[in-house]
Amino acid sequence: MIRSLSALFTAAVAALASAAAARSAPPEGTPPPARIAAALTEDVVEIRSDFAGAELVVFGAAEGLEDSDAIVVAVRGPQRDLRVMKKRRVLGIWVNAAPVRFEGAPTFFAVASTAPLEQVASFGALRRNQLGADHVRLSAPETERTETLLGVTGVTVSELGPEIVDYREAVVRARSRLGLFAEDPDGVERLEGGLFIARLALPSGAPTGDYNVDVYLFRDGAPIATRRTGLTVAKAGIERAVFDLAHGQPLAYGLLAVIMAALAGWAAAAVGGRR
Amino acid sequence: MVQIYLPIAEISLNLFVLLGLGLGVGFLSGLFGVGGGFLMTPILIFLGIPPAVAVSTQANQIVASSVSGALAHWRRKTLDVKMGLVLIIGGVFGSVFGVQLFSLLQRLGQIDLVISLCYVLFLGVIGGLMLVESVNAIRRRRKAGGSRSKARRKRGLIDTLPFKTRFPVSGLYMSVIPPLAIGFFVGALAALMGVGGGFVMVPAMIYLLRMPTSVVIGTSLFQILFVTALTTVLQATQNQTVDIVLAAILIIGGVIGAQIGARFVQRVPAEELRAALALLVVSVCLKLAWDLGAPPPDLYELIEARGP
Repeated sequence: MIRSLSALFTAAVAALASAAAARSAPPEGTPPPARIAAALTEDVVEIRSDFAGAELVVFGAAEGLEDSDAIVVAVRGPQRDLRVMKKRRVLGIWVNAAPVRFEGAPTFFAVASTAPLEQVASFGALRRNQLGADHVRLSAPETERTETLLGVTGVTVSELGPEIVDYREAVVRARSRLGLFAEDPDGVERLEGGLFIARLALPSGAPTGDYNVDVYLFRDGAPIATRRTGLTVAKAGIERAVFDLAHGQPLAYGLLAVIMAALAGWAAAAVGGRR
Repeated sequence: MVQIYLPIAEISLNLFVLLGLGLGVGFLSGLFGVGGGFLMTPILIFLGIPPAVAVSTQANQIVASSVSGALAHWRRKTLDVKMGLVLIIGGVFGSVFGVQLFSLLQRLGQIDLVISLCYVLFLGVIGGLMLVESVNAIRRRRKAGGSRSKARRKRGLIDTLPFKTRFPVSGLYMSVIPPLAIGFFVGALAALMGVGGGFVMVPAMIYLLRMPTSVVIGTSLFQILFVTALTTVLQATQNQTVDIVLAAILIIGGVIGAQIGARFVQRVPAEELRAALALLVVSVCLKLAWDLGAPPPDLYELIEARGP
């Protein structure tokens, strides 16, 4: 473990030299006075039959890190469409009604930082960089239209009015309950010499797919450097084989399930009958 | 604490909880001679398994539990194959219909509600009737062998239907329409609720079709076996919601539990057994009915598009 960590340190410091060759465009940031490098201890998380969640460890180094600076690490999972329904009471029974469709809602969204987010950055910076559960982008295009408000053009207005906030909060609440949305103001630990380590929990219900890991260096409420790296969560081993068969060869899979069940029932009857 | 990740349900659950659940429900099914789907499916949903996966996987599990029973009745010749085939034909159409209806309700976001409503309705009616019947039976027996008067209703509508045929094993000459309709109905229930449907089919066979009690159980198991097998394949091909790992765990627990339960049967008097089953059915029904009306823990519900 220690050897692999020190290897990572070396890798992280080496990566600093080539920080310009970032994997993809960082969300926001001004060109360096400060630079950041980051890597994951594991950039592929495998879901096997004993998978019960995992810990994501992000290592990094920040050049020109000052004591007042803050480091924020955001992990965002694949985006999927989502419907949210509100329960209404009809004849004494709670019935799902009033669906709102969110397009491309993140399935996983965890933020770790060296200090509480509201101390780290201004509201605007948090909103622009989508940091924190209050700022996650959840758009419901079917309920939105753009208007000119108070002389400002292109303002997105929800036809649901303030009610859309309840829907957004419901998404955050439900995902937080499953550990899919999380904020940890102590999740990033500063080490000596501009090095840092971030730990984030990946729950057992984490969706499979490609994740983005963004590391931000905040100074005076604004991001002055960012760095993006990737993470893949994928089923492996038997889990993978079963899932692939179920989706690739559904008929064979269904027949296999029936044959397995029939054999088990027959075997039980044979054993039980003999006794 | 051994967690096992279920590849289709996409959640991680305790292996021993699942094995214990299979064992417990298997024990009850061996004891009472019921499939146990009506208990298992709500518990699976309660554990956090998506309803679609719970219902489809349960159909798969019932294949295992009905095989041994159907085989035993086959050997004892207490099985009306012709009647069973008519019920299966009805069941095939019912199952196809049920799977389509399931997909539709899932798109509308109403599947949980419909599953719960179906459970409350059927468990309430069946459980209530069973309770009344078994309590009366116990009372009659306590009154020292009171006369068992069987006041049979006169046949009406069923006798007027066309397409009559002979069912020699059951000693019936009747239209194929009622068994087709019953088969259809039970097939749709199997797809929608993740149950075998024996709790509906057995009373229907006795009271509507007037089949002799000796062949009722075997014939219903025979139908359930084929209809749940078809439902499993249909759910697997159309919705990809059969979790073979979950099914295997439940089956292992279930077959062992059923053997233990079957050994207990001789020690318990039949009427008390039926009364206990009725109480169980009614309490599951009341729990589900309560959940329908009680204020939900969260007023909003997330319905995810099942991703790749």
